[in-house]
Amino acid sequence: MAATEGFKRHGAHSYVATFDETEKEVILNLVEQIIELLAERIDHGHEDPLAAMVGITSHDSPPEDEVLHRLLPNAYADDVDAAEFRRYTESTLRGKKQAHAMSIRMLLKSSPEGDVELDHQGANDWLGGLNDIRLALGVRLKIENNNYEHLELLAPDDPLRGVYAVYSWLGWLQETLLSALMDEVE
Amino acid sequence: MAKLADALEEELKAIFSGDTPWVTIVWDDPVNLQSYVTYVFMELFGYSKAKATELMLQVHNDGKAIVSTGSREEMEHDVARLHEYGLWATLQRGDQI
Repeated sequence: MAATEGFKRHGAHSYVATFDETEKEVILNLVEQIIELLAERIDHGHEDPLAAMVGITSHDSPPEDEVLHRLLPNAYADDVDAAEFRRYTESTLRGKKQAHAMSIRMLLKSSPEGDVELDHQGANDWLGGLNDIRLALGVRLKIENNNYEHLELLAPDDPLRGVYAVYSWLGWLQETLLSALMDEVE
Repeated sequence: MAKLADALEEELKAIFSGDTPWVTIVWDDPVNLQSYVTYVFMELFGYSKAKATELMLQVHNDGKAIVSTGSREEMEHDVARLHEYGLWATLQRGDQI
């Protein structure tokens, strides 16, 4: 099976790609890590079940983990406002990010041949989900201010080199889906 | 005429209730692709490709851009949707920029 050529438009509102076994494994592994990471943040032993039911969480401070913090950022520069907003909205945001990741996982799992077909909403789920993976990898790779020099100079046996390769590949994959979508919009 | 009266009424209401417009700001992020940021602006706000591209370039070149203006509740909604798609957004009062 050949390596994927990325996403292509197929008819009016459909976007298709075919992934080989390795590519599928890489994406599945990463979306599962995102799902797990977001799940770690879910409240344990919430004291007020009614509050939990309407989506109010006990979290009012940002996550300590740098990756989680990037995925669930503050909405206000002011700490008090940021904490208040987080208490009422963070669980909804986590749910939406998990839904994007699960949409990717479900499609890949249900396609033994590696064929994926997305409608418009599916494409948005994939874009958001792939972007979350890139944001997470970007934190680990310390990508700041468009500076890639430290990554270009990594030793061949440095494990970060592989991470950087995956990060770049996901960016390319996202780009193919975006140009297929933009074709339609224009 | 009715339209003008409505606008005036809105304006007066804002003055007397102390409501100042709020703004949603998107900050530059080295990970998000330029084409992705443009696409998200088009999808979430219904902006034309030209307007979305202009805002994306403003974020890229100036480090930030105001992408929407409205009530505090509306801006909270916009920020939440931008966070869903991984853009780095905050809201604040329009007169405190």
